Amino acid sequence: MMNNVLVFPMVLPVLTGILLIFLRPYIRLQRWLSMLSVLGTGAMSIILLQRVQASGILTIDIGGWQPPFGILFVGDSFALLLVLTASIVTAVCLLYAFSTIGPAHEQMHVYAFIQFLLAGVNGSFLTGDLFNLFVCFEVMLLASYILASLGGKRKQLRESLKYVIINILSSWIFLVAIAYLYGAVGTLNMAHLSERIAESGQTPLLTTISMLFLIVFSLKAGLVLYFWLPGTYSAPPTAIAALFGALLTKVGVYAMFRVFTLLFYHEPSITHTWIGIMAAITLIGGSIGAISSKDVRVIVSYNVVIAVGFMMVGLAAATSAALEGSIYYLIHDMLVKALLFLLAGTMIALTGKSKFNEMSGLIRNYPLLGWLFFIGMLSLAGIPPFSGFIGKVLIGKGTIEAGTYILLALAFVSSILVLYSLLRVFRNAFWGETVISLEEEKPLKKSWLVPSVLLAIGTIVLGLGVEVLAPYVQDAANVLLQPKLYIDAVFQSK
Amino acid sequence: MIVVAILIPFIAAMFIPLLHKYFPKIHVGWFALTIPVLLFVGFISYAPALANGEIQSYTIHWIPSYGINFTAILDGLSMIFVLLISGIGSLVILYSIYYLSEKESLRHFYIYLLLFMGSMLGVVLSDNMMVLYVFWELTSISSFLLIAFWYHRKKSRYGAQKSLLITVSGGISMLVGFLMLFSMTGTFSIRETIASVDLIVGQPLFIPAMVLILLGAFTKSAQFPFHIWLPDAMEAPTPVSAYLHSATMVKAGIYLVARFTPIFAMGEAWFWIITIIGLMTLFWGSFTAIRQTDLKALLAYSTISQLGLVMSLLGMGSIALQLGYRTEMVLYSQATFAALFHLVNHSTFKGALFMVVGIVDLQVGTRDIRRLGGLMSILPITFTIALIGSFSMAGLPPFNGFLSKEMFFAAVLQIGSLDLFSWDAIGVVFPVVAWTASVFTFVYCMIIVFKTFLGQYKGEKVQKQDIEPPVGMLIAPSVLGLLVIGIFLFPNVIGTYLLKPAMVNIYPGLADQLADHYTISAWHGFKPELWMTIGVIGIGILVYKLLKHWKGVYRLFPDQWSLDALYNHTLTHLENSSEKLTRSYMTGYLRGYLMYIYIFFIAVVGGVALFSGAISFDLSTDADIGVYEWIFVCIMLVAGIAILFAKSRLTAVLLNSVLGFSIAFFFVLFRAPDLALTQTIIETVTTALFLLCFYFLPEWKKEHITPMSKMLQIGISIATGLIFILIGLSVKSGRLFDSISNYFENAFELAGGNNIVNAILGDFRAFDTMLEVVVLFIAGIGVYALIKFKGEKRQDYEDQ
Repeated sequence: MMNNVLVFPMVLPVLTGILLIFLRPYIRLQRWLSMLSVLGTGAMSIILLQRVQASGILTIDIGGWQPPFGILFVGDSFALLLVLTASIVTAVCLLYAFSTIGPAHEQMHVYAFIQFLLAGVNGSFLTGDLFNLFVCFEVMLLASYILASLGGKRKQLRESLKYVIINILSSWIFLVAIAYLYGAVGTLNMAHLSERIAESGQTPLLTTISMLFLIVFSLKAGLVLYFWLPGTYSAPPTAIAALFGALLTKVGVYAMFRVFTLLFYHEPSITHTWIGIMAAITLIGGSIGAISSKDVRVIVSYNVVIAVGFMMVGLAAATSAALEGSIYYLIHDMLVKALLFLLAGTMIALTGKSKFNEMSGLIRNYPLLGWLFFIGMLSLAGIPPFSGFIGKVLIGKGTIEAGTYILLALAFVSSILVLYSLLRVFRNAFWGETVISLEEEKPLKKSWLVPSVLLAIGTIVLGLGVEVLAPYVQDAANVLLQPKLYIDAVFQSK
Repeated sequence: MIVVAILIPFIAAMFIPLLHKYFPKIHVGWFALTIPVLLFVGFISYAPALANGEIQSYTIHWIPSYGINFTAILDGLSMIFVLLISGIGSLVILYSIYYLSEKESLRHFYIYLLLFMGSMLGVVLSDNMMVLYVFWELTSISSFLLIAFWYHRKKSRYGAQKSLLITVSGGISMLVGFLMLFSMTGTFSIRETIASVDLIVGQPLFIPAMVLILLGAFTKSAQFPFHIWLPDAMEAPTPVSAYLHSATMVKAGIYLVARFTPIFAMGEAWFWIITIIGLMTLFWGSFTAIRQTDLKALLAYSTISQLGLVMSLLGMGSIALQLGYRTEMVLYSQATFAALFHLVNHSTFKGALFMVVGIVDLQVGTRDIRRLGGLMSILPITFTIALIGSFSMAGLPPFNGFLSKEMFFAAVLQIGSLDLFSWDAIGVVFPVVAWTASVFTFVYCMIIVFKTFLGQYKGEKVQKQDIEPPVGMLIAPSVLGLLVIGIFLFPNVIGTYLLKPAMVNIYPGLADQLADHYTISAWHGFKPELWMTIGVIGIGILVYKLLKHWKGVYRLFPDQWSLDALYNHTLTHLENSSEKLTRSYMTGYLRGYLMYIYIFFIAVVGGVALFSGAISFDLSTDADIGVYEWIFVCIMLVAGIAILFAKSRLTAVLLNSVLGFSIAFFFVLFRAPDLALTQTIIETVTTALFLLCFYFLPEWKKEHITPMSKMLQIGISIATGLIFILIGLSVKSGRLFDSISNYFENAFELAGGNNIVNAILGDFRAFDTMLEVVVLFIAGIGVYALIKFKGEKRQDYEDQ
């Protein structure tokens, strides 16, 4: 099904972003417009999801050039679910930014850059062309470079320099990998690539090239190559950090899912074994990292890493249950990571400390904050009835079906360590003797908590209302498992 | 509507804050009390129907897509537990109204308590394993919150965390076990799993699933070696200890074992694991209880020990299923009957004892045995209840504990004589362990009664005034004390209406043959079990009297070797070593990070390329290399190598631009003038930019690196370059398809442009171009924003 609306989740934020540049002095207007754009994107993705349910995968050939010659967007349930979640999370982070980020950022186009970031993220989810994926990555990365360093604090600049250089390297590898693949197979359209690779068989050379892609996306996702992540994610202002934690790595995860289910799925004994090994290393390294630090933000950042490993366990197992589990977990993780980053930022802003052992008894002063953290903690550990549960169950089921018991064990043990890493924070920072007296107590504005409340409601609703989401997720996993559906959708108008 | 019964406490919990707010004068516990009372009455009204074999069931479709439905079934086994939950719950809440003063955060207390009640009902009523797991974790969480009710106390926090970590870990392993069961049967329903038990037995996942599920049960029911959380959980307010940590939550593991017996008992391992763990727990708990000085800690170990007793009985009873129907089977299954009976009895006498300790603590101001004594005259009613509870626990008549203890002895003797064992002597171990543990049990029961209530009154050591507590506080323990005696007098009321229907659930299909065999009687002649009891009393008194002389035994187990020390050590060690490990590779240096990337690249891409044989190329068909090309290759080689030895930044930049311009010349040679032009411009601009920035850059410092790491870096660089080149060459030789670029050769017809490159950039792939323009736009505005940004004065914490 052709559908022109499909281009909006990317184009709307781009246009809004450009418009916002010209509205620099009108901060109130900027806020309204950016929120409207994000909500519009979310609303559109809901409509598109319904269309996909009704009439199958949507495509749009941009410029009217038939595939495989032009660029196209492909909206299947997987991509659209992520677009929807990304929009929701961005809206919430914007809401938090409105009341916390401060006029200096607002006057320096922070909302425009957030729009561009979202545009890049949505474009990466939707594109059906490998080179266009690269370009969308660039849009997203450029915006993230600026957002990471905007503010100009010493730590920010130090960490964002590393971030930029590492990402330039990974972009370069990405480009080379695309060149190799194009050289070998002669096309860039993903459906066409899939067809051709299936036709010729996945030769050892193609498998080698696929490993290049694996490295590129691992760098983005923080799979094994996550060393840049804790620093980068703990430096920028809270709203930005939350956005990063929720969105950026997920694009890498998405790309891996797409590439290794649509293109390179013929040699799982090599590719998926490596993915499994990498997932295992990530789970171990992330878990160790999460209990190694006392800095709340660093702990939360390592939890991003663990979650990436967890999702990749699903890809490594690659059964339908495992993939569905990963999709649920992706959606869940975007919400809950944003929640935790926001809460960690709020805790730091209230206490003026960043280490949990320097905080104490916060729950007496800020009960709601404490309970939100509690919910986030349980949700992240996959404890029912919150949203992490179903993903965990399905990934567990998938790994049992696939017989990958080591991954099963690591994935489940890691969730205990996730719990422990956050329990330490909760126990020390929220419980204990109250050190802040009533006079010293910084007032906690409602507007600081509203975004977190929304996300917490999100994780509860998502946990209880799995059934509502189930048809979409099952459809998404189905397309991942049957590349033919994707290919047919792309070439149907031929 | 059983589902409603589960939901009622949750809904009520939501109303507690409102009631607390609008009726500030009424202790909010009175509202909370109505819930369990209502539930108890409601549940008991189902009892007659249940005795006739009618089972209530109701389903709410929660996540039917994945077979996760909220099915609640009230059968015999569930009935025992729901009555305990609501019955003991009522008494505990009544007691707590007097125990907790208005100054405490009552709102939270009753919310957590109701949360727990609902979850616990959910555990024992759910048929779907996933839903059971949901409630299972909820009980852990509410227990966590209740233990840390006084969260400003360090010990409370410690105990809360310990219990949560251990029980949630067990829960997660149980979840994996459930998932494994699902992979064999395709259903999460326990009933359906029981029905399709043939699919499971003998499967490779049978044992793993069983062990994982048992881990869940053992952690929850504080079985050895996971029992260590229970004594620390005693930091909770005493009503919580009485309710969660002796009467209900810790019995969830027992429930689980009973429930899954029909599924797993076909395997011999089930019998062995449960019986052995149960007996070990029984022994270790009773042995350790004696050395405790805190009354609550003593009761905690005693609970552990009693749970072990019930567990081991369930294990022994399971042998009956394995053997199939024979006449002896009835005898073996009696162990299970005894387990259920003791479960009920334990709830009554242990609940009473906890309440007694709470009263002592509240009225006297200490729970330390060394500072207590002679309270009999001051707290006569409390003493009476304590006496009843302790003697029942010790297995003395005329209390209910005597009956179940006798049945326990009968069971171990039965199993001991069972010819299951390749090694005969092992059969003797069962009664010996059981009997020894009972002696210890007898001893600590005497300690509770005699050290607290008899002997010298140490009034001057304790601060509070000693008077009997308000009547309301005595009601609940008195009711339990009366039950202890009542059950002894009329055991078969419980046997017929409560226990027999449950036996049907544990021995499905066989129960009809068994139905008439279970009667409980206090007197059955001078059987061996009676002699065992008499022995326990005799030796027990002796051991108690000689306590001073053999207490030194406990010093043989130094504290640093205890399981608690192991737990603490593991956690601190985990934190320290993970900190060390993480710091060792998260250096913060970019160079190190880039090296990780390259090493990983070499390992993964190089490894796959090498082992899969991807590298193969053929240069014979290539065009000849001309003189000019050689010249530029040489120039680039020289420039590239020279960069490495550059002494100043300027030289390095200029050499770098030599490389760039040479590439431009290659484009010229290969007849791509537009690319050559682009490359020249880019090179000029970047070189110029570099030079402009010079002024602001800090001094170029020579880095000092060891020859070793220098060699490593050279190796990495060469390997990385080689891999890229080799793959490139292989791609060139191993072309699989024609490129789609032929299509674009008709650019003029298709897009009206003569220049293919322009047509591609401006039309075919104009979207990419547009986005690249956006990228440039972002970069431009971004640079502007970064330069112009005027930060407010920040607090220094962010610069840490």
